[in-house]
Amino acid sequence: MKINLRSFLTGVLLVLFLAGTVFFIKRNRPAPLPPSQPAPEVSVSRVTLKVLGPESAPVKLVEYSDFQCPSCRVVQADIQGLLKNYPGKIQLTYKHFPLTSHQWSAYAHQAAECMNAQGKFWAYHDKLYEAQAEWSPSKVPPVEILAGYAREQGADMDRFGACMADVAVARAIYAEKEEGNQRQVNATPTFFLGEERFVGPKEMQERGENAVRKVLGLSPKPPAPKKPEPLAPVPLKGALK
Amino acid sequence: MISLSQEEKNYKVLFLGRIFLGLVFAYSGFTKLMEPVENFQGGMAAYEVIPYGVIPFLAHVIPWIEFLFGAFLILGYLPRVSALVLAAMSWSFVLLILTTRIVTGALPADCGCFGEGSLIHLKPLQVLLMDICNTAIGIRLACLKDHPFSLNLLLKNKDD
Repeated sequence: MKINLRSFLTGVLLVLFLAGTVFFIKRNRPAPLPPSQPAPEVSVSRVTLKVLGPESAPVKLVEYSDFQCPSCRVVQADIQGLLKNYPGKIQLTYKHFPLTSHQWSAYAHQAAECMNAQGKFWAYHDKLYEAQAEWSPSKVPPVEILAGYAREQGADMDRFGACMADVAVARAIYAEKEEGNQRQVNATPTFFLGEERFVGPKEMQERGENAVRKVLGLSPKPPAPKKPEPLAPVPLKGALK
Repeated sequence: MISLSQEEKNYKVLFLGRIFLGLVFAYSGFTKLMEPVENFQGGMAAYEVIPYGVIPFLAHVIPWIEFLFGAFLILGYLPRVSALVLAAMSWSFVLLILTTRIVTGALPADCGCFGEGSLIHLKPLQVLLMDICNTAIGIRLACLKDHPFSLNLLLKNKDD
């Protein structure tokens, strides 16, 4: 009984100490930035904002995404559905978040940013996701394929080529990613709707539309029947040990 | 040269195993606790076989179990129970990875174990191997009656 009591008290003290340490560190860490504010130490001046939808839209959705991520491709249909179902009510802002685990992401993001400089970001964005299965498994850097897509969309190829070699553009992309890091983004796609965060297509499908409806003052929709199409996996962060 | 008996060698190996298993889980739990819970929810949702309804609950509970029992194992408090709990968790991760592969035909590209900012990026198959090893270590530790350099031994000795 004596041993049990001592052991029990030791356990209680240990749990209190460990939990207290976690709460203390968490409380004293800098809080993640709210999505509406730009990160203070990050310069994204070389990257023009990639915004779809009117400035007056009541729903401001921010997406941190990676062009080589299968889940980011899957979620595009849901986002398009939202934009279609609530016309003029949603403004979507795209943020670069190239994952280190995807070897060609950096090239794709640079190409997209180069198209953004020519005012053709969204068409190129759609093309990169549509053709992900074509350029993603490439054995060599898919620069030619990416340039081919740009050519198809009528880009000025001299400007595009110069931009692809511009280190400042790459730096700006990673500065935008750093902005995501400061908001504790660690998986793609991650969406912010105000303070609310949605990670991965499943969360967006399950909760996204009702969160949008809540902002618009509409009643929540009943859960949709399960989609037959399986979701492509998310490149995870912070999942299972 | 000092020669160690087989029992002493085993003790040392098992002590290292205990520290390894404890560190892996304590670190993994700690990093998840430091992040928004939605990150872990999204991570679990990528393993499509987990019912979505239980994900928010699991996302809150699992990091605490990993962290507390990982720390317990390092310190040697209730080492047999802690080892058993962590072995059970490791085994459930093995089953999760295998079930996801069989049911969906695919696996998440990155296990996401240690976060994007981490130096370590493990693929699910690498995690599968690690979890199999962790299960074996956990079971072996749970079978060991006395754990060297443990809080448990200290509490026991004080009582004697």
